[in-house]
Amino acid sequence: MKISTTDLKQVAQLANLEVAEHERQQLAEQLSQIVNYVEQLKGLDTDNVEPTAQVQINTTPPKRKDNVEERTGSSNTHNKGSLFKVPRVITER
Amino acid sequence: MNLKNLSIDGLAALYRKREVTVTEIVNGLYQEIEEIDGALHVYLTNCRESALADAQKVDKILQTEDDVSPLAGIPVAIKDNMAISGIRMTCGSRILENYKPPYTATAVERLKKMGAIIIGKTNLDEFAMGSSTENSGFFPTRNPKDQDRVPGGSSGGSAASVAAGLSVVALGSDTGGSIRQPASFCGVVGMKPTYGRVSRYGLVAFASSLDQIGPFSKTVRETARLLEIISGFDPYDSTSVNVPTDDWLSSIDGGVSGARIGIPKEYFVKGLDPDVKDKVERGIQLLEDIGCRIEEVSLPHTEFAIATYYLIATAEASSNLARYDGVRFGLRVSEGNSLQEMYRQTRMTGFGEEVKRRILLGTYALSAGYYDAYYLKAQKVRTLILRDFQEAFKKVDLIVTPTAPTTAFKIGEKTGNPLSMYLSDIFTITCNLAGLPGISVPCGKDSFGMPVGMQLIGNHFREDQILQTAHKFEEAGGFEQ
Repeated sequence: MKISTTDLKQVAQLANLEVAEHERQQLAEQLSQIVNYVEQLKGLDTDNVEPTAQVQINTTPPKRKDNVEERTGSSNTHNKGSLFKVPRVITER
Repeated sequence: MNLKNLSIDGLAALYRKREVTVTEIVNGLYQEIEEIDGALHVYLTNCRESALADAQKVDKILQTEDDVSPLAGIPVAIKDNMAISGIRMTCGSRILENYKPPYTATAVERLKKMGAIIIGKTNLDEFAMGSSTENSGFFPTRNPKDQDRVPGGSSGGSAASVAAGLSVVALGSDTGGSIRQPASFCGVVGMKPTYGRVSRYGLVAFASSLDQIGPFSKTVRETARLLEIISGFDPYDSTSVNVPTDDWLSSIDGGVSGARIGIPKEYFVKGLDPDVKDKVERGIQLLEDIGCRIEEVSLPHTEFAIATYYLIATAEASSNLARYDGVRFGLRVSEGNSLQEMYRQTRMTGFGEEVKRRILLGTYALSAGYYDAYYLKAQKVRTLILRDFQEAFKKVDLIVTPTAPTTAFKIGEKTGNPLSMYLSDIFTITCNLAGLPGISVPCGKDSFGMPVGMQLIGNHFREDQILQTAHKFEEAGGFEQ
């Protein structure tokens, strides 16, 4: 499976990552190489196999009372109390 | 005072005999760090002020009380992806270069309660993604046995700190081998517990279904002691399993006669360095000499482990690293006009190449149209890998393999080819996928004098068998063979 620079751009958009122009070709090639490698899993018969998302899932995870714990968070220069100032969210009319 | 020759018990004895104080040891250690860490780059942050304050407290306690934990006054290094309240935690990344967590990881808290002295935060591959510590956003750490070589990764700093005598013991984290492989490269003991054994609260998540915290030390006894302290149910970690912590320190002196050891034939194939093969085979022979029964087993899906891991781990990482967006903490690059621009610029500037590569790979594997073929498929193969081990553990108690296919490679040797770097995880990755405990112990040296590591893998929650056998191996001279 070859990953083109267009594919790369779409995936980068999903991941909120910017990839510099001069890095795109090499990164697309590296990702293609890795994806080619992982494609070998396709040959395995997994028709009746359940996926394992996590080993030893706690079937009855413990519960606790819903108490709010106050915690002074590490602040950057952009917060006022519990609010954070960010650039505009909606940019199109 | 060179900590290279002191174990926890050795140093604890000196304290109790009043031959040296904790304050003296800690001061001496920071002097040593000043002298040699400029070249090695083990530490990202020194905790000198708090360490000396703690040292004074412990000195007072040692003077007045009798029943004090052997961990009291013992210098410990902590990998810089575990939170300590008020102390900078970078995760080896520029995106967290100045971040200070508001809370402390449970595993670290448990060590501190015993009076351990936190010396500093150690270097790592950025967000624990790597096998050489060369992916650190700051600098690579050098192997104390040969400074032209890598210490392994991602917990390279922690492994090197113990090997170089810049701490007595250390904590690292292991997602695909990140404790065991650097332990092997640096000639120390490193262990990953069963998934769920040690709380992940305060460990910055890379791949949540694979990550575990574990100890580095020079001897198996110290590893057993550390594991006892840091293990145990934690209500702050929903994946923490409520099983009792065993009395490993007492049980490691038991015998191993008749312990059944499986050697998986798929692990002794080409690509394995001949010196590594030779030393591990001698190690297996020694295990037989001390009373273990050796037999061949098969783990038929071994060859698919790396592909499985690099789909699952990167997918989980792409989700876990979405929080680094410049909004609430960490680096913020706000040169653009919109929130989206801020996200993209921040992450482009703050993340290194390998992190970006893995996030992109993970995002791709989870994206519409590819989820079934990649991520879901990998989860199914993971079940097959788990079943391989379950079958094998019906016949044997432990599985023994080399820890890594080579000894420590040279700095820069594998950075040009990401896939070749990934392949060096081949022997350690299956443990994480299956949630099994595994230890790497030193097992001689190669023809360049570089340490070789041997791995012992146990069944779920059977750290006792691993520690017992590893301890007997050590006592029989296995580390130096």
